[in-house]
Amino acid sequence: METLLVFLLVQLSVSEGRPYDPAPGIWHDKSEARNLDCSRMSQQRAHELHPGEIPAPLARLANQESEALVCTRRIMRNGERPERDELILDSLRESVGEIAEVASALGPGKLTWHVDAFYPQPEVAAKISVAARTELAEQGRRVSDKVPVLAAGDIVVLGRMAPKDAYPLACKRYFAQRALGENDAFLGIMLIDERETQLHAGLCLNGEWRWLR
Amino acid sequence: MRPALLALTLALVSSSSWAEVAPEIAEAQRAQMEKLRAEVAGQIQLQAYDLLDELVYGWTRQPVFELETPVVLADVTVPVGFGSGLAALIENHFAELVVKNPRTRLTLAHCPQCTAVVVHSGAKGTIVSRGVDQPEALATAGALSGARHAIFLDFEAEGSALVLRARITSLEPALPIIHAKTLTTSTSSPALLRSGDQLKSAAEARKEYLDALQGRGPVSVPVRVAVRSYAQSPTAGPIAAMPFIWLQAGAEVALTQARAWTGTFSVGVTWMPQLHTGFMGQARISRLLTGSVASLTQPDLYVFLGGSVISIHGQGARVFRSEVLNLEDVLSDIPSLLVEPHATFAAFPIGLELRVGNRIAASVFLESAPALDNAPSIGTHLNLLNILKFHTVGAEVSFAF
Repeated sequence: METLLVFLLVQLSVSEGRPYDPAPGIWHDKSEARNLDCSRMSQQRAHELHPGEIPAPLARLANQESEALVCTRRIMRNGERPERDELILDSLRESVGEIAEVASALGPGKLTWHVDAFYPQPEVAAKISVAARTELAEQGRRVSDKVPVLAAGDIVVLGRMAPKDAYPLACKRYFAQRALGENDAFLGIMLIDERETQLHAGLCLNGEWRWLR
Repeated sequence: MRPALLALTLALVSSSSWAEVAPEIAEAQRAQMEKLRAEVAGQIQLQAYDLLDELVYGWTRQPVFELETPVVLADVTVPVGFGSGLAALIENHFAELVVKNPRTRLTLAHCPQCTAVVVHSGAKGTIVSRGVDQPEALATAGALSGARHAIFLDFEAEGSALVLRARITSLEPALPIIHAKTLTTSTSSPALLRSGDQLKSAAEARKEYLDALQGRGPVSVPVRVAVRSYAQSPTAGPIAAMPFIWLQAGAEVALTQARAWTGTFSVGVTWMPQLHTGFMGQARISRLLTGSVASLTQPDLYVFLGGSVISIHGQGARVFRSEVLNLEDVLSDIPSLLVEPHATFAAFPIGLELRVGNRIAASVFLESAPALDNAPSIGTHLNLLNILKFHTVGAEVSFAF
């Protein structure tokens, strides 16, 4: 009995202080691990973000940089949304932030910005355009919720063209039909090929289309 | 090997059986997906509330408008994949916050036409859209209820973070956005429920959270009332140990900040008139089972392991001794009956403890006392391969101060 007790005590002491390990193993399978968002940071930073879970670095180890791997479960687990939508939405802040930054640099001055997104799923398209409008507005740009529209005949013609030709022509038509004026800028964010998972963007200024990415 | 097995399996399963099973599987998958979705919605609802609290708190500090202004809550969109139920909860919470915080200088206006599909025919043609996208049509119809601004709230799940994008649009033909704000759970304070009429900043909420963590303190004083029941040996005849009631007090130390490990040392006393008086010293170590951090709001389950030294004095101690007196012993050695018997032995408890708020706890345990293996009056409640024998079962109620 004593042997067993000693064994149990040793097991307890071995696992003491060991934090919850989300790595795949006996208790977690790989699919569980894939649903985690993990980032490596200093122990000091991790303590600031998660004070109840990660202790402050010991003063006597101040010279040694210790790190923590902070893992958080993804809100939407893999497989719950279509894979392309998930990839686009997962990095929406970063991708839209980059696009808005480049567009802002190319369209200085007192322009009124209009934004629209072209994506197969309307609900995802709305998310992309809202993110871009909010980003531009937070940068101090004058942004409008109004989306310029073309006549039905234009849309039919543009629909038959390849994207690399259709968007520049649409820009010209916006300007010709006075849907956009000289003080307006139109930022279009789109998927060019339905199989890709990277957003492209273009800027329409004074009837001239310019690809941003 | 695996492809061969798969081929064999597929060959054994007829196509007709697939046709019968498939709809059931699909139904089960749908049910599972709905269950999962409801579970996730329950988790992000609190995060969404937290972001709304932070948004409205910001507006109370820096109002968007100088004067009280009627606004229309034009749209609430939830993460792709979620239904309108979550949107309704968010809308209600937002309305509650605005009503309870007049310092935002916002007044919610009723405008059902703003979110409805509106058909407007004019000189330029016929346009079908939401009401808020055609403010001139709404104004013509007099449907704006005096509101000239619309609020849009958009939530999206981006990885492990929930992101709120809020904007206020002026309801004039150009639809200019006059205010925009992005908030995300990855940069805000840890989730903390704040009452709607007493909003706090993220920094204040964080300080409250830290105070709550630190307020628990590393040392507490538990007071326990325990009952120990010893197993009766099948060969003991009528002699059996009665349950012992113990009162214990001591000190408990949290070994880690998260209270995942705690150590306790306590002393105890038991007394039964004319039967026994007993003393005990006990040390135990507890490990949290439910998660890696003791919860501030939910019960916590611990497993504990300990060691005790128990000393019993009085007639009640006879059951713990290795010899049982019979009539011959009594008659041959009467003077020994006048000496007060006593028994001292070591015991090792293992058990589970459920704690609520680190203030009150209930536990059950098994205790092994190797010295009692030789006591003919004491049996075992649980015998593991004759290696580990548990002679005692017990229950405790604890209060920590």
